[in-house]
Amino acid sequence: MKRAVAPHLGTIKMRLTCPFCGERDHQEFTYRGDASAKRPAIENDSIEDHRAYVFDRANPDGDHRELWNHTSGCRMHVVVTRNTTTHKVTGCEPVGPWAKTMKARS
Amino acid sequence: MVDFPDRISPLDAVAEPGVFGTDTNSPKVFLSENLCGSLIQVQAWPDTISVVEKALETLTKLAVPKAPETAHSENVSIIQTGPGRWLIDAEVEGLEDKLRSKISAKNGAVTGLTHARVVVEVKGPKAAWVLASGIAIDFSLKAFPVGTSQVSHHHEIGVTIHRTSEESFDLYVFTSFARGIWHWITTASSEVGYAVS
Repeated sequence: MKRAVAPHLGTIKMRLTCPFCGERDHQEFTYRGDASAKRPAIENDSIEDHRAYVFDRANPDGDHRELWNHTSGCRMHVVVTRNTTTHKVTGCEPVGPWAKTMKARS
Repeated sequence: MVDFPDRISPLDAVAEPGVFGTDTNSPKVFLSENLCGSLIQVQAWPDTISVVEKALETLTKLAVPKAPETAHSENVSIIQTGPGRWLIDAEVEGLEDKLRSKISAKNGAVTGLTHARVVVEVKGPKAAWVLASGIAIDFSLKAFPVGTSQVSHHHEIGVTIHRTSEESFDLYVFTSFARGIWHWITTASSEVGYAVS
């Protein structure tokens, strides 16, 4: 049986513009999950809230904000805005403790 | 010059001097191991970066790079490898200890990497061409000017590349992967001929 393959997967090379290193191939990055998932507060003892944080994802058709780590580069975490339909990347912002410092010094 | 007795390199057994590859009359790539004095990594914290920069400037007498660039004096090179992170390649005795005494754990971390990295110098008219065959970054002079550095990888092996001139590059690679990188560079250079010194 012939397997169905999304037509763009063989041709589009995903490039991410790291705020520190510049434009790089996505193979230098590691996917770290949905950036919109918010961890419940530590004092929140609702099992349902924690289950939702771990398992529930929106799976949108369109722009999706996701965490990537530049593992083979500067090792910063970035939030990438990627369209799940067209695969087009429209944003790549620093996140975490260095984001504020980088913004202040740019 | 710092005296380092019994310097042993993982490349000793494989980096045989000579000319190899298809064109041994006029090799286009020249390979050698750059035996550096000491390598030190300095990492600042987001709120202490100014303090660490000042300490580095005081000890090295260099303007600390603020982007993925480098700064040099006769015996010290500073390569920025990440936000608030620098790799210092120095031929200065005791610099690591001086950095440790100047940068407390409250302000940053000083890590000695002298034995953790091997520096491979790749130069020649086809140096960029050979590196581009295995490392997915733009090696054009516009994207990667002389005096700047890039941190990337070759098949998951991390490599810090410092462009020292139009046609020469210093590759900082993990000591334990140095032979792997060497094997790739020599294989990739065979097509145009390479000389090892």
